[in-house]
Amino acid sequence: MGRLRRSRAHHARRDVHRASRTRVRGRDLDQIQMIDLDPKNRAALETQALDYEKPGLGQHYCVECAKYYETDVALQSHWRSKVHKRRCKQLREPAYTIEESERAAGLGREVKPPPVAALMETGDSVAAI
Amino acid sequence: MRIEKCYFCSTNVYPGHGSAFVRNDAKYFRFCTSKCHKNFKMKRNPRKVRWTKAFRKAAGKEMTIDSTIEFEKRRNIPVRYDRELIQTTVQAMKRVGEIKARRERAFFKHRMAASREKHKAHRKKVLEATKSKSSVKLLEPLAETPVKEKIKVAVIAKSALIQGEGRSMGMEID
Repeated sequence: MGRLRRSRAHHARRDVHRASRTRVRGRDLDQIQMIDLDPKNRAALETQALDYEKPGLGQHYCVECAKYYETDVALQSHWRSKVHKRRCKQLREPAYTIEESERAAGLGREVKPPPVAALMETGDSVAAI
Repeated sequence: MRIEKCYFCSTNVYPGHGSAFVRNDAKYFRFCTSKCHKNFKMKRNPRKVRWTKAFRKAAGKEMTIDSTIEFEKRRNIPVRYDRELIQTTVQAMKRVGEIKARRERAFFKHRMAASREKHKAHRKKVLEATKSKSSVKLLEPLAETPVKEKIKVAVIAKSALIQGEGRSMGMEID
């Protein structure tokens, strides 16, 4: 009789662990929302130069999901998918940031007063008001 | 010395405690415990996790708009040490703390008063729903259940000390 191996010995955790490693960390929601979704950056990301290291030579990139696709067909079908739509929904509300975590703790940020030179320039306009 | 705030739950992180993660754009994420770090790695949104400060503030469970909250601030401007200033600051901190505690209590009372009525209405609704919909029908107890009278029977005393007093399996010998 051959070897009888137990299935599900590792609780299917392997891929979960691999996906949470720092080296495979993708772009976070706040990065996408504040940087990537800006029309200029978006255009640059969507028209990337040929890169042999990236999937599909870096030609089919989904900005919202921060993911490269092999072909245009794959990208198109991704756009129609639930995963993409869910991501878009998440991006519609403001992302959680470090500043928000501090504000929740009751720690505000002091806005730096403008330098004296700038005050001197606008001094007359302030006086006029 | 600087007391940082946890990225996930917004509690204080004292020097030498917790852990940190620096993203490749030099953003510094601090965590008070491994619990918070793990939740971060799972990419959970603190605004949707019920035990975080962010959730409590976003859901209106804590005071958010108040002048007493405005005092604690991160100042990246160095201030020359001044004994007088420190003394007045410490005094002011105590006083502001008192006022804040009182206002928070008032806020909590107000919130609870509103929720109590909501709870009451909800409980009433549930009770009525179960009454009308439930498949379990409650029966009224029967009016009179016949009580059986006890019959007294005289017991012949049996002693364990005497052999064969109706207990042993031995043969009866005349």
